[in-house]
Amino acid sequence: MNKTVKITINGEIFEQSVPIRLLLSDFIREVAGLTGTHISCTYEGVCGACTVQLDGAAVKSCLMLATQADGHEVTTVEGLAKDGKLSPLQQAFNDHHALQCGFCTPGILMNMDEFLKKHPNPSDDEIRTGLIGNLCRCTGYAHIVDAVRDAAKRTR
Amino acid sequence: MYPAIIEDYVRPTSVDEALKAAGKYEAGEAMFLAGGQSLMQAVKSRLVRPRCVIDLQALKELKGVSAGGGGIRIGAMTRYVEIMSDPNLKTAYGALADAAEHVGDRQVRNRGTIGGSLCWNYVAACMPAANLAVGSSMELLSATGKKRAVMVDDFIKGPLETARADDEVLLAVTLPAAPAKAGSAYKKWGVVTDALPVIGVAVYLELDGGGAIAKARLAVGGLATGPKRAKGAEAALAGKKAGDPGLAAALDKAASEIETQSDHWADSTYRKNLIRTLGADVLASAFARAAGK
Repeated sequence: MNKTVKITINGEIFEQSVPIRLLLSDFIREVAGLTGTHISCTYEGVCGACTVQLDGAAVKSCLMLATQADGHEVTTVEGLAKDGKLSPLQQAFNDHHALQCGFCTPGILMNMDEFLKKHPNPSDDEIRTGLIGNLCRCTGYAHIVDAVRDAAKRTR
Repeated sequence: MYPAIIEDYVRPTSVDEALKAAGKYEAGEAMFLAGGQSLMQAVKSRLVRPRCVIDLQALKELKGVSAGGGGIRIGAMTRYVEIMSDPNLKTAYGALADAAEHVGDRQVRNRGTIGGSLCWNYVAACMPAANLAVGSSMELLSATGKKRAVMVDDFIKGPLETARADDEVLLAVTLPAAPAKAGSAYKKWGVVTDALPVIGVAVYLELDGGGAIAKARLAVGGLATGPKRAKGAEAALAGKKAGDPGLAAALDKAASEIETQSDHWADSTYRKNLIRTLGADVLASAFARAAGK
């Protein structure tokens, strides 16, 4: 019923016996106490708010058991800023007012952070297509696209 | 949506070990987990309640695309993100890359696998229809050590049903070496971008020296009864060249021979129109790919 898992989150190792049915999203929030990873659609896998990076790839953490991440490295939104300094993507979201309520923002940041590594010079269409898995109910996406485009420019 | 209690989780490091783990349970009580983008949804909604989850993530021999003189082998655990950009899947088997590129969203494509999709065989999945068109074969290994190859036409059964036995693992999807002039394509239409298909159409073409269709396979997905080949349309496509008005007639035949359902996404007539319009698009792409354009 329980398994001991060892998951590295933002460089810190979390080792604990957890129920096999525990989802990775809940491991991150409840075991590691990192509540920046949000649950928006009651674990239905449709909203993208719980997106984290697993070994560098953006994945929905509610679509995985925590045990599947045993031995892997997870990066959450708390892992983006370094030494108190926002990443260029986070700074661009701030500058462009790319969030209103901010609930979807952690998932979007974790998805777009990987997206920009694969698409350093994205078109607006590519950005919008890249955002399909992340629902935002406030912004209409225009400012989010602006921010991602600008972050690409700042990072290049 | 949250999983019910799961009694055991194993992460085998060999296929034999995976099959042995499954053998400890009654049929259906242990489930193989690939990328989990469908299965975890089913586990959370409690459509299925496995006592044991056998996670295949550590089986390196099930991952990756390799090409040789005998054809192409796609490991069952190869992810969509790898299939959509594989240089071996651009022309004859481009339908597989087309399908992979538009499954769900980036996050899903980073986890979801071709083998997982085929073994789950959800009615609105893209991979079963695309595989039906390209005529792939499934390489299965059973707990008794017996290996068998099953053509996709025999592998795909009704919704959520396949020819895979509970004590079998899908090792790979294999494709024969394609002739010089072969091309395939897949396209779907859904209510939002990259949604599950209301209709998806895949076509595979082999052209003769003069550019006319020597062999065609056309499959439709998004149907209540699971993906189907339109064999009347395939016969009607034979001998036609790109731009021939007979192509539209063949697609009319596909639209009439395929039984389409009416539901809250689209009515039957609309689905038949989608078969025609998407069919014209995939035929054009497949012709271009076969001609090396």
